[in-house]
Amino acid sequence: MPEDILYSIRNLSVEYKTRAGPVRAVDDLSLDIRRGEILGLVGESGCGKSTIGKALMRLHEAPASITGGQLWFDGRNLMDLPARKMPDIRGAEIGMVFQDPMTSLDPVESILDHLTETVLTHEPKTREAAARKRAEELVERLGIRRERLKEYPHQMSGGMRQRVMIALALALRAKLVIADEPTTSLDVIVEAKILDLLKELQKEFNLTILLITHNIGVVAEVADRVAVMYAARLAEVGTARDVFADPKHPYTQGLLRSVPNIKLNSGELYKMGGQPPSLLHPPSGCRFHPRCPQVMDICSKQEPAFEPVVGDHLASCWLYQKTIAKRASEKKEVRNG
Amino acid sequence: MAKTQEETSETLPEGASWEIELNRVGFVRRLLMARRWYGVDWWFVALSAVAVIGFIIVALFPGLFAPYSPFDLVGPPFLAPRAHVDMPVLIVPKKSSVKNLQGLAVPPEANRPQVSVVEGYPTAGALDTESQKIDEQIKNQPGGLRLRPVIDRYPSLQEALHAVVDGQDSASVVQESQFKSVAANFPSLREAVPIQGGTFSAGGFLLGTNDIGQDVLSRLLWGTRIALTIGFSSSLVSLLVGVPLGLLAGFGGGLFDRLLSLLMDSLYAFPGLILAISITAVLGPSMLNIIVAIAVLYVPTYYRIVRGQTLSVKEEVYVEAARSIGARRLEILSQYVFPNVIQSVAIIFSVNVADAILTGAGLSFLGLGLPPTMADWGIDLARGQTFIRTAWWMITFPGLAILLVVLAFTLMGEGLMEIYNPKLRER
Repeated sequence: MPEDILYSIRNLSVEYKTRAGPVRAVDDLSLDIRRGEILGLVGESGCGKSTIGKALMRLHEAPASITGGQLWFDGRNLMDLPARKMPDIRGAEIGMVFQDPMTSLDPVESILDHLTETVLTHEPKTREAAARKRAEELVERLGIRRERLKEYPHQMSGGMRQRVMIALALALRAKLVIADEPTTSLDVIVEAKILDLLKELQKEFNLTILLITHNIGVVAEVADRVAVMYAARLAEVGTARDVFADPKHPYTQGLLRSVPNIKLNSGELYKMGGQPPSLLHPPSGCRFHPRCPQVMDICSKQEPAFEPVVGDHLASCWLYQKTIAKRASEKKEVRNG
Repeated sequence: MAKTQEETSETLPEGASWEIELNRVGFVRRLLMARRWYGVDWWFVALSAVAVIGFIIVALFPGLFAPYSPFDLVGPPFLAPRAHVDMPVLIVPKKSSVKNLQGLAVPPEANRPQVSVVEGYPTAGALDTESQKIDEQIKNQPGGLRLRPVIDRYPSLQEALHAVVDGQDSASVVQESQFKSVAANFPSLREAVPIQGGTFSAGGFLLGTNDIGQDVLSRLLWGTRIALTIGFSSSLVSLLVGVPLGLLAGFGGGLFDRLLSLLMDSLYAFPGLILAISITAVLGPSMLNIIVAIAVLYVPTYYRIVRGQTLSVKEEVYVEAARSIGARRLEILSQYVFPNVIQSVAIIFSVNVADAILTGAGLSFLGLGLPPTMADWGIDLARGQTFIRTAWWMITFPGLAILLVVLAFTLMGEGLMEIYNPKLRER
């Protein structure tokens, strides 16, 4: 594994067992998170992006389970660790910020207890006073007065609670922070503040952040690289500049065209046809083919490979398949002939 | 500009000034201040809390409050509350120097004093008992006086009193009320004292006496001890059993949860009192067995509530967040799930104490709980039921006591929770 990659997801599959049958929320997905970057993971609701976030810490409990793949974090395959070792990594090396700050703090515990408990869980030898001091420094850095540490979650606004959540993720200097829709339930001004804060902290602590969101604007604002997900698989991965300036996958193209824009001249906003597929019975071939405006014959028959289109810019689309596409079309001709 | 705006809004403490004050004061002050926004509820809580504390004090020291022993036959039976006690009194001629029953004592060789009584009244018996008591005391003292009156029985009051006027008898013992009605006809006689002296006061009994002459008030006060003991200990036992089981079943799930829930649901579906009756019938009547029977009855209540709460709390995002910061299962159970679940347990507990008192009284009422010699509200109720037409006070006061205790515990439990729960304080 190259040194510059902090977390390498290899062929990850996560399944939810339902009465109707197993649902693959993440299907054979591979993705690298590089050290010190903010990687934005975007996709529509139910495409499996939050499932990835949890899977990175092996947080899944029944009925969900990781059914295959490897999770290489900082030189170790987390899938090889016994489950009882995972709590040592959670919080200490990988932190997580959840979507709804209103419900992700324990209502009967003060903010201070939240923070000191995190520290003491992982470093039992730390004295209470030292843990308290660290908590105070941390929250002050995040813009909360230290006097408010003894308050309970219900006494704080959404933005402040999300700051507390970030503080919790940072309390032990985690290398990787998974931010799962960190600003979705906040209003726009607070959202901007939190995003700025994340960016500052990333520079200051040399953090690596996986930013999971459905809001493509948020990704454009802070992410270095972008991964676009569709129906449990990756559609496109590239630097933010590449993906936004020149989207390759028709899904990404549609997604970007459907973002409201003040410069939008033509009266109507683009609407993508169809609806997200059911993961219980995903479409054959390319999963986007039933909605794709540039659909070809092969799309419904065979799955495209996830291949580089230009340099670091990867996409999974028959429009850009070089090797396999050629071979397939040759075969077709042979059969026709 | 947005930055400064936000900073001012976040650095300034939020909320009204009284809310900030509230965070700086202690529990007692907070309780007092709570009156401002809980209004009538607050008064309910305050009054019921005072009542509960009162009941607990009475239960701890019933001897300080009870005027008599709950077991002694201290007065005439069926005496109405505050009714005047009609006692046998000693009647002597006005010129006689006898002041009380002991004054009739004579040396052993002298003639025994003759005392007249009216046939068909308990006076002769009382006279006999009291004289023997006094005789026992004085016969060994220097002087060797004895009190062994000869009892002359007369068919009517007139004859009995005339015997004293005529000098045939030296004194008479009649019911006080009877003498009062005819005193005017016998100017030469005077009333000395009630022969039973200081055994009970002439002022009557505040809540009357029961069918065998025990003081209803004293039994009521001593009964508080039994009622609260049964209520608290059985609720505590079911809490100590039900809460851990509910936590483990809700948190662990699986086969253990299924089997335990099946067992608890069948217990819960079984009619409560009948279950308690059958348990006490098997174990036999005693305080401990009653506590066990009622505890079994209420284990499912705690189990179900705690299990349900655990199921919902463990799905909360903050539990997942706790896992994401590396909390282990045991820590999650003890530090995240338990504190969030215990609040509802506290509410059930106080309501449960009330319920257990009610069930305990029910068992004793049916004659299945405690030995009938004990001072218990249920037993008193059962006794009073027989005499409900003639002695309403025997059943009314124990019933009222049960009502008040149950009401106080229920109101206090629910009210205190409203005030103390930080989640609810937000409003």
